[in-house]
Amino acid sequence: MRLERVVVRGFRNLEAMERDVPEEGAALLGRNGQGKTNLLEAIYYPVLFRSLRGSADAEVTAFGGPGFHVAAQLAADGGALEIAATYQAAGKRKRIVVDGAEVARLADAVGRWAAVAFLPGDVALASGPASGRRQYLDRMLSLADRSYLAALSRYRAALAQRNSALRQGRGELVEMFDAPLAAAGAVVVRGRLGWLEGAAARFAAELAALGEPGEGVLRYHGAAPLADPAAWPEALERTRARDLARGLTTAGPHRDDLVLEVGGRELRAFGSTGQQRSAAIALKLVELDTLAEARGTQPALLLDDVFAELDGERQRRLAARLVQPEIRQVFVTAPRADELPAGISLPRWTVEGGRASA
Amino acid sequence: MGAIEELVTELARLPGIGRKTAQRLTYHLLQQPAGQTSRLARALDAVAERVGPCESCGNLTEEQPCAICRDPRRDAALMCVVEDASAVAVVDRATEFRGRYHVLGGRLSPLDGIGPEALRIEALVRRVREDGVREVILATNPSMEGEVTATYIQQLLSAMAVRVTRLARGLPMGGDLEYVDGVTLAHALVARQELR
Ligand SMILES: [Zn+2]
Repeated sequence: MRLERVVVRGFRNLEAMERDVPEEGAALLGRNGQGKTNLLEAIYYPVLFRSLRGSADAEVTAFGGPGFHVAAQLAADGGALEIAATYQAAGKRKRIVVDGAEVARLADAVGRWAAVAFLPGDVALASGPASGRRQYLDRMLSLADRSYLAALSRYRAALAQRNSALRQGRGELVEMFDAPLAAAGAVVVRGRLGWLEGAAARFAAELAALGEPGEGVLRYHGAAPLADPAAWPEALERTRARDLARGLTTAGPHRDDLVLEVGGRELRAFGSTGQQRSAAIALKLVELDTLAEARGTQPALLLDDVFAELDGERQRRLAARLVQPEIRQVFVTAPRADELPAGISLPRWTVEGGRASA
Repeated sequence: MGAIEELVTELARLPGIGRKTAQRLTYHLLQQPAGQTSRLARALDAVAERVGPCESCGNLTEEQPCAICRDPRRDAALMCVVEDASAVAVVDRATEFRGRYHVLGGRLSPLDGIGPEALRIEALVRRVREDGVREVILATNPSMEGEVTATYIQQLLSAMAVRVTRLARGLPMGGDLEYVDGVTLAHALVARQELR
């Protein structure tokens, strides 16, 4: 699926634009602060209807503006698709329209289009806290599988209700939310473990291909038995007293982690910065493959300044692996064309003062 | 605050009406013949004065008890439990159900500070015990909170000699009964399942 036309209004520092997008993608060139990353962010917005940098919609809105509008016209094998999102700062209202019809719930529009973004902060996938890795899993699996997204949102809703009952010290109400928590939570754990079966070997292979010595290992850290709903009552019973004391649910996939190892050592604690960077890139490559396989079509690829930190050899390998315009659309940012790895020949857009020009 | 601004503010409090729409409605009303807006104002006054919950079932009514509770052709042994009064009209219109209703006035939601004591659950148990109810049909909304509320009531009634059923699964999850199409709702009622 390829982006054919993009419409952006009121989004960060970007000037209002309505542009046709080349089939192979584009290299977005410009000095920092001119709007390259903002443009990537706008392009990604119709994927999750959330900023890829995790910013709130109010922050994404152009300073002092009434809101923003982003629309993506897509070409798929089956035909065309148009996704539009409009955010109104007054009342914090978001309207999402797919092919002219407003969707009732955000979840109905998530995953109509898929893209994978590589960002400079991605190294935190290997070096940072577990929350980043859970976010990685949840975002990827939600885009790969609608039933995972549905289970995840039910799980979050049940968790919020249960935690609220815990904070109020109402044990009899806490128990009422055990069943929906277990039913949805088991699907979430099952989804993650199912993904890991294929992903572990892929991760090792990607890491080796990036030239990293030592075997890469991907492990699920958490309560794998909770993939079975029948295991939940006992787990919740065991933690009930503690949960009530803390006002928090302490059992479940919202506490789990994905452990990355190279050569038998846990990367988060013992990896070098170089290893951590490679492992984070390997995870993103697994995400790309996972989505391509699950959806039967290549997701678009958004690369924000990811080559700068790599040495020449790693740059070349990664660019060769990722930038294949004949199979997928790629958007890549760099300050200047000569800072792109050799061999990348994408149409160039210059981004200056929030304005993109070919 | 001026009169115009006051009306805009009040209209904007209504669900689904933003400030822009409220302004449009206000200016529309101002362009109507005088009698028209007075009739609307009187209708609002009348609703506020005369309409209140039925003391038996909680449905909205002008008389006590409500027309449904008074209707002798309705089967008093069949009781349909709904979250809101608006669902009474929805179920009555879409289905063949001709028993009585019980309006809870919401659903269990700790996040909104709503526990069983905030709902008309005690009144429900009393009616089941005193009115010779044979079957309670739990028609709470097909949402997580609606399911939880249904389970809570089922557990409460399990010790009593009453059949407790739930609308058949297959209603779109996360929604409100009001958004379910009539045919689907009627089918879910016919295919209701006993909870144990
Ligand atoms: Zn009544």
